[in-house]
Amino acid sequence: MLIRPLCPPPCLSAALLATALLLGPAAPAAAGPTEPSQASAASLAPVALLLAAPPLLLSGASQLTVVAVQASAEGTVWVLERASDGAQASVQLSATVAQGASVVVGTALTVSAVATGWLLGQGTQLLAFVPNERGARLLHHERVMR
Amino acid sequence: MSALSALARRAAAVGLLLAAALWPPAQAGQACEAAAASVDSVRQGLALAEATAAALDASGAQVLLLGRAGQDLRAHGLRWSHLGLAYRDGDRWRVLHKLNHCGAGDAALYRQGLAQFFFDQPWRYEAVAQPLAPALQAALLPLLHDDARASTLDEPRYSLVAYPWAQTYQQSNQWLIETLALAAEPAVHNRLQAQAWLRLTDYRPTVLALGPLTRLGARLSRANVAFDDHPNDQRFADRIATVTAESVLDWVQRAGLADGVPFIVR
Repeated sequence: MLIRPLCPPPCLSAALLATALLLGPAAPAAAGPTEPSQASAASLAPVALLLAAPPLLLSGASQLTVVAVQASAEGTVWVLERASDGAQASVQLSATVAQGASVVVGTALTVSAVATGWLLGQGTQLLAFVPNERGARLLHHERVMR
Repeated sequence: MSALSALARRAAAVGLLLAAALWPPAQAGQACEAAAASVDSVRQGLALAEATAAALDASGAQVLLLGRAGQDLRAHGLRWSHLGLAYRDGDRWRVLHKLNHCGAGDAALYRQGLAQFFFDQPWRYEAVAQPLAPALQAALLPLLHDDARASTLDEPRYSLVAYPWAQTYQQSNQWLIETLALAAEPAVHNRLQAQAWLRLTDYRPTVLALGPLTRLGARLSRANVAFDDHPNDQRFADRIATVTAESVLDWVQRAGLADGVPFIVR
């Protein structure tokens, strides 16, 4: 679940989008928030990873169903399945993201394709952004330390 | 209950209402409230980020001021709420800027992508970009890659309306212009020197008209607003000078620090 603090800009809420990174040959080396900020509790939320998915799964699907929720050392993995042919994708979310999302086995997620990737949602609420290569170039989050 | 304390309580209550009208809801010292972002808001933020990347590419600049309309400040005659320093890093753009920690009294510097810069469900999905003068771009570019140098003048104590000629607090746009001074003038090593350079180059802050009830309410209700760095004569005349995006955009034109005019991205 994407957690966004309500606070007057310029505030840290800009950093809190739950993002997903495509792993594999096209993985953008510098993409995505990789360092949970120490700035606030809510800012520890941002990372989700798409561990594996057939290339056409996300682009071809408008709805996926959560068929498994697995805890791992790195976070929580959701296994998503397309109803029409059973194709599956695995999405790894940070613990904070997963805790905030009310996703259980059987939950239906919507997939919206945008120019920069895909938006995984539950109804109108965003759960994660899965960037493509264009989207990955737009993502970065890093606290600058003295 | 004394009449005085009743008056003070009433003033505080009125002030709280006015403060709420000035800034979006948040309480002093309160951690960020969790709220879900919508698919639609993130879609719009991503679209603006990509449009901005294309516009920055087309500008030919390496370093620009980048502003967003995070909140509705029209009551103060302002369109933009926050500035960052956008710079090219290989085939992508990064923004170095200062962010307040969820309404708390401190802030820190962050390096973000354009997507994160616009993911804040802004008041309007539009941006302003101002290419800087080539010499200033050249001076800034290595600084923006160097965390230690970029942090040189960073003061963690934050006030949304920090006084531009004091060193007690520092708000986001104030860090930016002081860092421009650091890059532009080799003799600048601290905030006092940076502010002297800003005076020398005719930086003029925006003066907000904030009455006593508004000030009291804001100070009581928000950890990220303070007025004790403002001179008493100005404060009690309801004149609160601070660094706004508009004042910076005007100044870089006036001081010859800009390259051309700003452009809007939607």
